Amino acid sequence: MKKVLVLWVLLLAGLALAQTTVRVGVLLPISTVAGKAALNGVQLGVEQVNAGGKVKIELVVVDDGNTPATAVPALTKLMTVDRVDIVIGGLASGVTFALSGPVKQYQPLFLCIGAASSVVEQAFSDYGRFFHYHPWDYHNVAAALEFFKYLYENGARRVAILYEDGPFGSAGIQTYRAQLQNQGYTVQAEPFKTGSGNFTAILTRFKAFRPDILYWIGYDVDALPIAAQTRQVGLEPKLIYGAPPAWPVGFEKNRLSNDVAGMTAWLPSVANNESRRFVNLYRRKFGEVTDEYMAPMGYVIALSLGRAVEAASSADKDRIATELAKVQMDTPFGPLSFKPSDTGRTRFQGFNQSIWLQFQYLEGSRRPVFPANRAARPLRYPGNY
Amino acid sequence: MELLLQTLINGILAAGLYALVASGLALAVGVVGIVNFAHGEFSMIGAFVSYLLFVGAGIDPILSLGLAAVVLFVVGALTYYGLIRPVLAAPELNQMLLTFGLSVALQNLALLLFGADTRVLFTPYQGATLALGGVSFGLPPFAAFVLSVGLLVGLYAFLGRTRLGFAVRAVAQNRLAPGLLGIETQRIYLLAFGLSAALAGMAGVMLSVMLYTSPTVGFAYTLKAFAIIVMAGLGNLRGVIPAAIVLALAEALVSTYVPGGGGWVEAVFFLVIFLALTWRSWRTR
Repeated sequence: MKKVLVLWVLLLAGLALAQTTVRVGVLLPISTVAGKAALNGVQLGVEQVNAGGKVKIELVVVDDGNTPATAVPALTKLMTVDRVDIVIGGLASGVTFALSGPVKQYQPLFLCIGAASSVVEQAFSDYGRFFHYHPWDYHNVAAALEFFKYLYENGARRVAILYEDGPFGSAGIQTYRAQLQNQGYTVQAEPFKTGSGNFTAILTRFKAFRPDILYWIGYDVDALPIAAQTRQVGLEPKLIYGAPPAWPVGFEKNRLSNDVAGMTAWLPSVANNESRRFVNLYRRKFGEVTDEYMAPMGYVIALSLGRAVEAASSADKDRIATELAKVQMDTPFGPLSFKPSDTGRTRFQGFNQSIWLQFQYLEGSRRPVFPANRAARPLRYPGNY
Repeated sequence: MELLLQTLINGILAAGLYALVASGLALAVGVVGIVNFAHGEFSMIGAFVSYLLFVGAGIDPILSLGLAAVVLFVVGALTYYGLIRPVLAAPELNQMLLTFGLSVALQNLALLLFGADTRVLFTPYQGATLALGGVSFGLPPFAAFVLSVGLLVGLYAFLGRTRLGFAVRAVAQNRLAPGLLGIETQRIYLLAFGLSAALAGMAGVMLSVMLYTSPTVGFAYTLKAFAIIVMAGLGNLRGVIPAAIVLALAEALVSTYVPGGGGWVEAVFFLVIFLALTWRSWRTR
């Protein structure tokens, strides 16, 4: 009996010694839908990693408040009080840009979940422990332009662009306009104040232009007013295409969302094994299905980190970074591996434009419509607005 | 010509919502003498009342209007008793700091309770459109305009034709004299502040139908409401609708006829405030 007990103790001690434990800081805007989804994804991935037994990831979660004023002190706390060496975070570009200085000061391994702006790419260009999973904004533009090319082939000729006049909407507008014109489109672009709720005047101005596509670059607060007021002024475009970072809660249930198109990196209906596996695990843990692509993005980050820690057999951040750079895995978005970014500014870029898909709202859900190999149904063009 | 007509209608209908938010603020400023920076947050509470009743109990926002008004009247009355009354005799700067603090607190409370997400309702009539000749307009903005005019006419009638209304006007003109005549000044203040909050709540319900519900929904409209009450003359209820129409028309005309004018909308209402104040000071010289 004594011998059995000693063997058990030795076995458990051996397992504990073989298991690598890492503490990871999670810095996300957890009061937003996207931030909460990302956190759920990270937690789900960590659960999978820990269940494997070889790696134990302990999470320290803090809210970045979706604002630099909260995010910078929160990162400082993670680094100085919780003493983590690895941080998962950086959802919003503005917040991540503000974090670039403190990150360089404290030198963590920074696994960036969002932050598509090339301004962020530039800010982290000289930082070697920066792994960016999300595509950059030029990838987003390339994916959207591919869709516009398809629309042009289907007869669309005039694009009215409604862009918010802050950094998000107006930063690349001239380039965007030029690229659409190169595709053969006639473009009319007008700025607006996000959250103003009153678009009737600008939409009335667009009426004379008779656009085939109404393309709005703004935020979730603008989605419903634009969908409603487009009808109210009788604009009648053939497609309303939106590019907000997130869509409002409940928009899919509103009949005004019908036929509105947009872009996302993932939907639960995406048909690949990893996506199906993720959906099943997510449903089992949280009792629901999410269509926020930040959830699988968080999941992918946790799984890839688990693989890197296992390969490194160490909690040392540089050894983990070296192994993470070699990771190749299938994910709900498709294959993941790290390469230098297209501009060469950062060394470890995960996904590119290939993960983006175009969707259209129809009867309460978002359905992939483009590219053809990932479409769940054909695009409704012209849409009924 | 059709474009001009459409632009004018766009502007006039936008004025409805502006006036609805501004009328409550004008009442608080005119009667209680309080510049209430938390007025937009009262609208935000109204929007959440509407949203939660719709999502939780399936109650249509039109039916929520009355309930939101009652809830916000109570919120306004409690705010008056708990926070405003103790600082009525304090310097105006203290009063303004108090309402500013209340605004921040309410916004953050909403963030804690509901998160930062933008939520939208899904009623069958949000996209409903009316067409007259060559122009068309939405049913919800038209309803907001009618509601706003109706409420303000009701408010004028209350102030001009009832004993309680006379008492409110008397208190608005002089804080001490009505008390000497037996009018309970504190009750009148409470009534006025409660009514002000109730009007903000009803505006919030319309915001939830026409725009969205979020902890920050009231902010943009409060700024416009300040521009309107400055233009109307602080506390002048009769000037609210004309001032709202001038502001909304200016915005609509700039947005329609100036290339890139959509980005100038905020500049328009600051320009309106500047011109109104300059003209008033020049006139009273």
